[in-house]
Amino acid sequence: MNLLSNLLGTSLGNQINNALTLFFSLMVEAMPFLLLGVLFSSALLLFVDERKLIAATPRNPLLAAFVGSLIGFVFPVCECGNVPVARRLIVQGAPASMSIGFLLAAPTVNPIVFWATWTAFRDQPEIVFMRVGFSLLIATIVGWVFSSQPDLRPLLQPAIARSMPVPRSTSRRSRKKDDEEPTADLLKSGTFILGQAGKPLQLDGDPLQAVTLVANPVLSKPIPVRLQLMMENIIQELRELGGILVIGSAIASIVQVAVPRELVLSLGQDNITSILAMMLLACVVSICSTVDSFFALSFASTFTSGSLLAFLIFGPMIDLKNIALLLSVFRGRAIFYLFALAGQLTFLIALLINLYVS
Amino acid sequence: MTTAGSSPQKRNWQWFQNLLDVSAILAWSALLLKFWLSGQINLLLHPGYVWLAYSAAFFLLALGALKVIHIVGRSLIRARRGSARTRTETPAPPHYSLFPPGWGSAVLLAVAIFGLQFTPQPFASQMALDRGVTDTLTLTRAKPQSFRASSRPEDRTLTEWVRTLNVYPEPDAYTGQKAQVDGFVMHLKDYPDNYLTIARFVITCCAADVYPIGLPVKIKESRSTYPADKWFRVEGRMITETVAGKRQLVIEASKLTEIPKPAVPYEY
Repeated sequence: MNLLSNLLGTSLGNQINNALTLFFSLMVEAMPFLLLGVLFSSALLLFVDERKLIAATPRNPLLAAFVGSLIGFVFPVCECGNVPVARRLIVQGAPASMSIGFLLAAPTVNPIVFWATWTAFRDQPEIVFMRVGFSLLIATIVGWVFSSQPDLRPLLQPAIARSMPVPRSTSRRSRKKDDEEPTADLLKSGTFILGQAGKPLQLDGDPLQAVTLVANPVLSKPIPVRLQLMMENIIQELRELGGILVIGSAIASIVQVAVPRELVLSLGQDNITSILAMMLLACVVSICSTVDSFFALSFASTFTSGSLLAFLIFGPMIDLKNIALLLSVFRGRAIFYLFALAGQLTFLIALLINLYVS
Repeated sequence: MTTAGSSPQKRNWQWFQNLLDVSAILAWSALLLKFWLSGQINLLLHPGYVWLAYSAAFFLLALGALKVIHIVGRSLIRARRGSARTRTETPAPPHYSLFPPGWGSAVLLAVAIFGLQFTPQPFASQMALDRGVTDTLTLTRAKPQSFRASSRPEDRTLTEWVRTLNVYPEPDAYTGQKAQVDGFVMHLKDYPDNYLTIARFVITCCAADVYPIGLPVKIKESRSTYPADKWFRVEGRMITETVAGKRQLVIEASKLTEIPKPAVPYEY
């Protein structure tokens, strides 16, 4: 590093050194939480059967959305783990409100993220509680809005939509009568899977693909095989999320050191631009929700509390990486609805916090 | 995710991917252990979180070892059965990723290798200036969350002084009290030549959130005697003065002693 300083002049060398120190400090602080998140999400993906969750979900769409938003507490997956799980929930016929609630809230409303945010924002505990509370609120509202579309299939990718069970009026009270199929069950052709309730699920799509989508395929394996798969899954998620963490930390440290302070302050101290800037950053940086609080922390002294909150709420719901994942389930239109609804609600809440609370 | 009868090319790629994964995991374990054992971690983290870092290091070590045992065991089985027939493996649950496989491990490995030969440097006064202490030096962010005023004023650290001031900001309340604080020297542009600032960084979580605190010091000679970033123990008496247009608490120094840079440069 001394060589670097000499080569580049002391000031620039110092700047680079500061940026690198910041970078490694973010990485070292975030790594244990990333490991913990990956460990839990791998373990749960391989040992929990979502069908039991669906069976226990209340029928009222608002309550279902709320329960779906809370599943993260028993299923601490971050935003890469939650899309496959939400996908299985949808395909297994979970109510739309529950699946959407889960999709939006699970990466934030879970114990690991709570602990990580607490670690980062010990000085401002209100941020931690507001993050969890408002994420829950937004996910429940958006889930509730989506329950007005009882049959999610028009919003899904064709492959997923075909694999979904045909909605029945008896399966969920919230489904409208006009979705009812007049044909008797016994007269229908297609692939059927015997569900736990003893009721066959009908699948319209490719049977082979449908089987892997419906059940968690791993649950039928013996424990040693599951453990080995768990290790593989930990490594897989670790390298993917670790790579993104590297990029996120690098951006955070460069912004801190290289962007002129006047610019950061003029952007970060304004009630509205600060929120917009942080939401845009959340979208672009795509940092994993277990570690994004450390990223936000590096902006804590220059940006408004509302904007930090907007980053912490919005980032786990929608970001570039997540959109790529969501496209494996939803059509563009549905992602746009999710994005617009979650974005507007986040902005509104963050603005209220900026204007009236902090 | 190899399956029975995969092509040699595919197997080679799988082998390379495994190697990359294992190297990245073990390199990160080594990096965390190096930061911990060399004490450099004190520059990166609040001491309360150091255990998290070395626990992660041991976990990564175990994960890497397991993976190595797994790979070796599998290739032994393969060798025994002949390369043509391999055991059919269960594919892991489908995983959707944005980047090509191998990318993440390569980046992590490169960062860890760089980190192994990088020595973190404590932040200096330029960083403090960049972080905006110039205008509101005494109240940037210090909240009295673990506030404990020492009974004797000369026992207060710089952080304790700033926290005390935050609770009761009237400088006259402290006039005449003895002061003895350690910190590094900063030269603020809008201060006259016989004033310097004695400062410390306070850390709550990691180096990303360190913020500077400081108090102005009135000295008899020119401040060029005490270069920026050098560490000093300032002994003196508290007075109230208007410096750079602001009425504030100032240490009137009777003695400045140069001290070595502490191993843990932050206060908490």
